[in-house]
Amino acid sequence: MSVDDTLNTYSAVGGIQHEEPLLFEHAHESAEAISLPGVQGDISDELKAFARKKPANIPGLSEPETVRHFVRMSQWNHSIETGFYPLGSCTMKYNPRVNEQVVRLSGLANIHPDQPVDSVQGVLALLHELQTWLCEIAGFSDVTLQPAAGAHGELVGLMMIRSCLDARGQQHRKKVLVPDSAHGTNPASAALCGMHCVELKSGADGRIDLEELKKHLDGDVAALMMTNPNTAGAFESDIKEICQLVHDAGGLVYGDGANLNALVGVARPGDMGIDCLHINVHKTFSTPHGGGGPGAGPVVVNDTLAPYLPVPRIVKEGDDYRIETQDEQSCGTILGSIGQVGVLLRAHAYIAAFGANHLHKISQDAVLNANYVLHRLKDAYHVPFEGLCKHECLLTDEYQNKHGVKTLDIAKQLIDLGFHPMTVYFPLIVHGAMLIEPTETESKATLDSFCDAMLEIAAQCKAGDTQVLHDAPIKPIRRRLDETQAARKPVLVWSD
Amino acid sequence: MRFLPHTDTDRNAMLESMGMNTMSDLFADIPKEFHLEQDSLHLPDALSEAAIVRKFTQASEQNRHAGNTRCFLGGGTYHHFVPAVVDYVISRGEFLTAYTPYQPEIAQGTLQTLFEFQTMVARLTGMDVSNASMYEAATATAEAALMARRVTRKSRIVMAGSVNPRYRSVTQNYLSRLEGEYVEVAMDGEGFGTDINNIIAAIDEKTACVIVQYPDFYGSVYDLAPLRAACDAAKCLMVVAFSDATAFALIESPGDMGADIAVGSGQSLGIPMGFGGPHLGLFTCKQKYVRQMPGRVCGMTFDADGKRGFVLTLSTREQHIRREKATSNICSNQGLMCTAAATYMTLMGDEGLKAVAQRSAAALHKLISSLPASVSAAQGAHFHETVLSFSSQAIRDLFLQEARKRDIFAGIPLEQLDDAVEHKHLLVTTTEMIEAADIQDYIAALEVAV
Repeated sequence: MSVDDTLNTYSAVGGIQHEEPLLFEHAHESAEAISLPGVQGDISDELKAFARKKPANIPGLSEPETVRHFVRMSQWNHSIETGFYPLGSCTMKYNPRVNEQVVRLSGLANIHPDQPVDSVQGVLALLHELQTWLCEIAGFSDVTLQPAAGAHGELVGLMMIRSCLDARGQQHRKKVLVPDSAHGTNPASAALCGMHCVELKSGADGRIDLEELKKHLDGDVAALMMTNPNTAGAFESDIKEICQLVHDAGGLVYGDGANLNALVGVARPGDMGIDCLHINVHKTFSTPHGGGGPGAGPVVVNDTLAPYLPVPRIVKEGDDYRIETQDEQSCGTILGSIGQVGVLLRAHAYIAAFGANHLHKISQDAVLNANYVLHRLKDAYHVPFEGLCKHECLLTDEYQNKHGVKTLDIAKQLIDLGFHPMTVYFPLIVHGAMLIEPTETESKATLDSFCDAMLEIAAQCKAGDTQVLHDAPIKPIRRRLDETQAARKPVLVWSD
Repeated sequence: MRFLPHTDTDRNAMLESMGMNTMSDLFADIPKEFHLEQDSLHLPDALSEAAIVRKFTQASEQNRHAGNTRCFLGGGTYHHFVPAVVDYVISRGEFLTAYTPYQPEIAQGTLQTLFEFQTMVARLTGMDVSNASMYEAATATAEAALMARRVTRKSRIVMAGSVNPRYRSVTQNYLSRLEGEYVEVAMDGEGFGTDINNIIAAIDEKTACVIVQYPDFYGSVYDLAPLRAACDAAKCLMVVAFSDATAFALIESPGDMGADIAVGSGQSLGIPMGFGGPHLGLFTCKQKYVRQMPGRVCGMTFDADGKRGFVLTLSTREQHIRREKATSNICSNQGLMCTAAATYMTLMGDEGLKAVAQRSAAALHKLISSLPASVSAAQGAHFHETVLSFSSQAIRDLFLQEARKRDIFAGIPLEQLDDAVEHKHLLVTTTEMIEAADIQDYIAALEVAV
């Protein structure tokens, strides 16, 4: 079947797409788009001495031109609002519009962070309530909302672990164990915290191998960083024993919460022995990804690590909220503000919409959908690790390799069929990984049409009808882009 | 539940197709002892959409904000005008709900926008290249220090005491677990400016970089040429931090001043104050250092048909490839805020940006010119903020009360950010959102208090 024949079946990119030049190629002088308020007086003579001599050369378009410029470009993007986005370990779920509405209320959007505390009690109350909810959902005793993203949360978690070990007089513990299936941010965060990583080789089932773990548990171990469920989509069923082993060896267990969407309302990492966990609210609690961010990575901690939380902290005293900025034991200041407040407020609204009575349905449906996709694709694609998956499932291109087709080709063909590809070539523990995370906000009809597309691609491979796969994608505004050239002679800014 | 498409019929059909009976079968791999009882979480029950709007509206109405006050607060976060088009563009689902552009063929919207953003940021700061954002200014400053260590293979960091205390404390904290020396150069007396000679005296041959803020935390604008010369002599980098990027439409940019790395806040470029975030960290440097830069960066290339397009590039610096040898651990950044800033700068152009900066500075000049004799402002060139000094804390605090009566947030008591100073100073800031009448009311409150 050719791509054109599939147009009625799949939601492929189609219709009008406009070319749009760069802003700098719009051919007229700066237009006036803005009428500004303010004082139109003179500036001081002292300041005049520092006047910029050469203009910045930022072109400026009129308001209608600006709108069309950006709206046209927006139409070149795939997004969760336009289609299925099954990126593994990314949790691309629907982002409720009401959350966008409420965070734009002037009393939330237009507050200065250094206003007197009596003038910001409303926002502090919302943030404080979110703190208690995150602790309750994940099973921990305290939290910092401050980290700006998941990787930032990792760094902060490790800083707290460092402070805790230092307080125990164990400055020498600098070894961080990281499974080879871990996100790349884990080892990078450890390095930034002055620790070094030792990679744990995953067992044959894609999980942490207890014997391998024991081999590395010596007096130098500071922490184990683990993701559960892991990036192969498997729950680490030995979690209790793993945490016990690490604790017995004098180390602490850091939980990477990127995959928390499998556990919400179902089980709590804090109950399993993990000492701290960052929560990617832009994944689990549905704050929009925005083309790369902003996210937020609150870190929940147990009693062992609570004394070392960063400052500032939001504290409730009686009916009042205040911001605590000093604490001797704290691991320090990690951001110039109290956090990515607008992102955190969206997470608050999301949790409020589910409440105690519905939260578990998030993970139930997420796990149902991933297992359903796995079930439908397991004969056509190689499944490296048997058994249940959690909120994402892992396949490889092993069967398709025999026909000269690689994961990348499958991904690009999915684009022509109207789907965003899954996460490709991650985790690194299998060759040609395809990690599929459907999330709970997709209908059975969408899952079926995605599975049909995947099965069709597998059938094309079997039939030797593979040229179309190597040529894909042909439908978007651009075809495969030359990334090698981009890196060899980087052009990062436009020159007129 | 309104965000979940499945009906129970769907769920049962799906379970049945897999040979399962109940949802709990899906969680058989989680040890029984960890399974939560249904409804056992201590959380409120679900709210309707209308109830959520009501709750947030009530919380919002408890706060005072720039919409119902006059905001003279700055110190790194500024109340500038945000045109409606900016919020419209970043509300488009195609920008708002897209992931990081790892599949460039279907992310050209985000990518071309990033390329335009990088170009405009580089031009505004006068630097060669910009990355595709950091979280915010304080962590960007810390990343600049780390980058200078990589570039120079030296580890001593010299930090001016006139840099925003928040940028300083985050940078110090980031560096504290690594080998190497961190030195803060105290500023002489309470002049509230930057003493270049003191900083130069702190440089030695082990120094990787000197970090200054320009305009500094107190709003002071000063000449960096002597520092540039000293950095050249010691073979260290000059890192310039800034808190309001609109300044460089009016005054000489960090690039004009010879910065090797310039980092700071882009919050003023179309992003609301939002009680501290999400804001936008800007990171720029000279072309020759680009391979040591942290964070994502977008580059130009061509597709299989020879058409121009854009991709994320130089990713061998990044954590997903280099893991513990990466230039930074950053992954999620402030992508949508780049789109906001790109839209804002497109609407403004050179002229609009300059007008924003000009009016911000003009308002401060007008305010300072109207001060009563018993209140003094810091000397020298200032952009749009300065330090007002009172004869005592009591008088300052009385003024703050008088100002509140007039719905004015009159400034930040300096000791809240920098506990080393006497409790009688106020960091005051003006933007184009301050009208002449607001300044009159400000002065009227002052005259009551002093």
